[in-house]
Amino acid sequence: MPVKNRFAELHDDITAWRRDLHEHPEILFETHRTSATVAEKLRAFGCDEVVEGIGRTGVVGVIKGNTTASGKVIGLRADMDALPIHEQTGVEYASKTPNAMHACGHDGHTAMLLGAAQYLAETRNFDGTVVVIFQPAEEGGGGGREMCKDGMMDRWGIQEVYGMHNWPGMPAGSFGIRPGPFFAATDLLEIEVEGLGGHAAKPNETIDTMVVTAQMITALQTIVSRNADPIGNIVVSITSIESSSKAFNVIPQRVNLLGTVRTLSNDLRDLAEKRVTEICEGIAATFGATAKVNYIRNYPVMVNHDEQTEFAADVARSVSGQCDEAPLVMGGEDFAFMLEERPGAYILVGNGDTAMVHHPLYNFNDDVIPVGCSWWAGIAEQRMPMG
Amino acid sequence: MPIKNRFADTHADITAWRRHLHTIPELMFDLPQTSAFVADKLRSFGITDITTGVAETGIVAVIEGKTNTSGRTIGLRADMDALPISEATGLDYASTHPGKMHACGHDGHTAILLGAAQYLAETRNFDGRVALIFQPAEEGGGGGNVMVEEGLMDRWSIDEVYGLHNMPGHPVGAFAIRTGALLAAADEFDITVTGQGGHAAAPHEAIDTNLAAAHVVVALQSIASRNVDPIKQVVVSVCTLRSDTDSHNVLPQTVRLRGTVRTLDPGIRDLAQERLQAIVTHTCAAYQCTADIDYRRGYPITVNAEDNTGFAADAAEKVTPGVDRNTPPIMAGEDFSYMLNKRPGAYIMLGNGDGPTVHHPMYNFNDDAIPAGCSWFAEMVETRLPSAG
Repeated sequence: MPVKNRFAELHDDITAWRRDLHEHPEILFETHRTSATVAEKLRAFGCDEVVEGIGRTGVVGVIKGNTTASGKVIGLRADMDALPIHEQTGVEYASKTPNAMHACGHDGHTAMLLGAAQYLAETRNFDGTVVVIFQPAEEGGGGGREMCKDGMMDRWGIQEVYGMHNWPGMPAGSFGIRPGPFFAATDLLEIEVEGLGGHAAKPNETIDTMVVTAQMITALQTIVSRNADPIGNIVVSITSIESSSKAFNVIPQRVNLLGTVRTLSNDLRDLAEKRVTEICEGIAATFGATAKVNYIRNYPVMVNHDEQTEFAADVARSVSGQCDEAPLVMGGEDFAFMLEERPGAYILVGNGDTAMVHHPLYNFNDDVIPVGCSWWAGIAEQRMPMG
Repeated sequence: MPIKNRFADTHADITAWRRHLHTIPELMFDLPQTSAFVADKLRSFGITDITTGVAETGIVAVIEGKTNTSGRTIGLRADMDALPISEATGLDYASTHPGKMHACGHDGHTAILLGAAQYLAETRNFDGRVALIFQPAEEGGGGGNVMVEEGLMDRWSIDEVYGLHNMPGHPVGAFAIRTGALLAAADEFDITVTGQGGHAAAPHEAIDTNLAAAHVVVALQSIASRNVDPIKQVVVSVCTLRSDTDSHNVLPQTVRLRGTVRTLDPGIRDLAQERLQAIVTHTCAAYQCTADIDYRRGYPITVNAEDNTGFAADAAEKVTPGVDRNTPPIMAGEDFSYMLNKRPGAYIMLGNGDGPTVHHPMYNFNDDAIPAGCSWFAEMVETRLPSAG
């Protein structure tokens, strides 16, 4: 290619869309204004079909190629939701909503996929069908899962899916990808320790939940240090401790813990669930307390499929000349649900030397837009070439 | 190729050498019979440039190619030492040396390199020189390091080095390799916790070293679980706990802990050492004890050079198609790492088939892997030093 000329022309428009989205961030499934904006633009581009309300506030648009003889249908996905962070960038298009911010660049992802949709709807130089997927609630709500549950893949006959995420610290416009496990499964822990509350001066008459909790946190370290294969990748973190009293002189009846388990393989995920449960129940029993463990399987391991990864990397190289092997990421990504249903690949695009995602000073880099749009267009055109 | 035909002819001989070595296992640097056997065989192949006594019982022998316009020398290395294990295989060629056993397959490695040496000395179809390196004391003595320190690389002008190790659980004769860190750095620590011994019925008058030691073991878990990047690898294991009394009613004055730290990355190696020292020092202080820490860096990380890994995998592919070029790293240590730190080269794993793992009293080297191992060594030489004509 490299970058398609049309995206040089559209760069200002797409940047304006991105900054408008940035100014109006919406959280989780509450992406009402964002979804309406997306749907309106897709209709204006002349998409063959635009459907709102998939996965609650998700939007799906269909663009048929000049021919559809191949019968191929490719899904291209962007996420639309923002984060509950108070923006501190001071940019003129900063968030107008307190404690809501596009601090993960989903504004950029949405704008780039809109730009690609405009180009693909104008040119339709492919033999098949493109389904553009705009999902809500990537940041913890499982919007991707909800769209899949609404039957998106079957309803539009999607055969392959592709996704992209900006990545601070990688050169702007360069790409990174890897086959196989890429982003971690992100499971949630809720542990309730129940003992026997009482007076702090008479610990002998209590079952001290604080001591149980401390031993439990310590013992949970052994899942990583003793149980997991050291070649594997796993994190077990307790992130919150809340006792049922806040006094100086009361031994609390109950302590509630929150935490997360991150794994890059299903075997480690199963191991972690088993060991967390055994350790918490066992340690509680040691002290005559009880533990209720709620191990919530959240986002699965995001696994890139080999063939689609290679193809996505080829397209990336043709666009920017640089596509490196990306590192494993212990963060989670809800696109994992789509990749469980259909083969496909997820790619990182460099955001340059900016603040990290989820930081109040983060901002999406608009210079990346033509590269990202060109990659989307290349995926459609090269996967479904005209006869 | 795949297997060189000559090795089908010599397979029975090489198997006999391997089984003879298996009957006479020797430990560390103390390898008089093994070393003498190797030197005799090398002489019988018509090799004349043989240096014994390198690192006490190590041997370096040189085979000249038909030509040497390249001026290059390839080092091929095998380890010769056995382990202090009582063999339980019941084989008719089982160890005749009580308490000693070839339980890591070094008998096989040595026999394979002898087999390759015989072929190379017969054919000499290469342009350059081969340095055969037979090392003692791989199992903890650092024989490879001693050979390097005695000037192995410069004295024999070695340009590249290659070695192999058998791998139980991998199909017989199949190869596996990876670029970069293949085997771990293996560091050791000895910790002495000193408190105040006393009567077990009056713990308040003592400073309990057992309790401090228990907290040290627990706190050390946090290196792997909290300090090291979960994308990277580390193992911290406390293997020995010993108090200075074995009574039921005395709190010990001292407790000794012993263990190992395994890492695949120099930065993680430094981090693990730093954290171990801080954790032990401060945890002991928290329980009013003092800690004396002896942290010793053992074998370095075995790092396969990128280009040479490619050469090694390509040679292996000719011998046994289907090389695993991205085998996971192994947390065991290997003292071929010292040679790889001095010269580019590669270490490759050779499938030993199903059966007990290395260092197990039922382990045995699989003689069926011999032709593949010999062919790989020969192929390394012939492809890295192609004949001029």
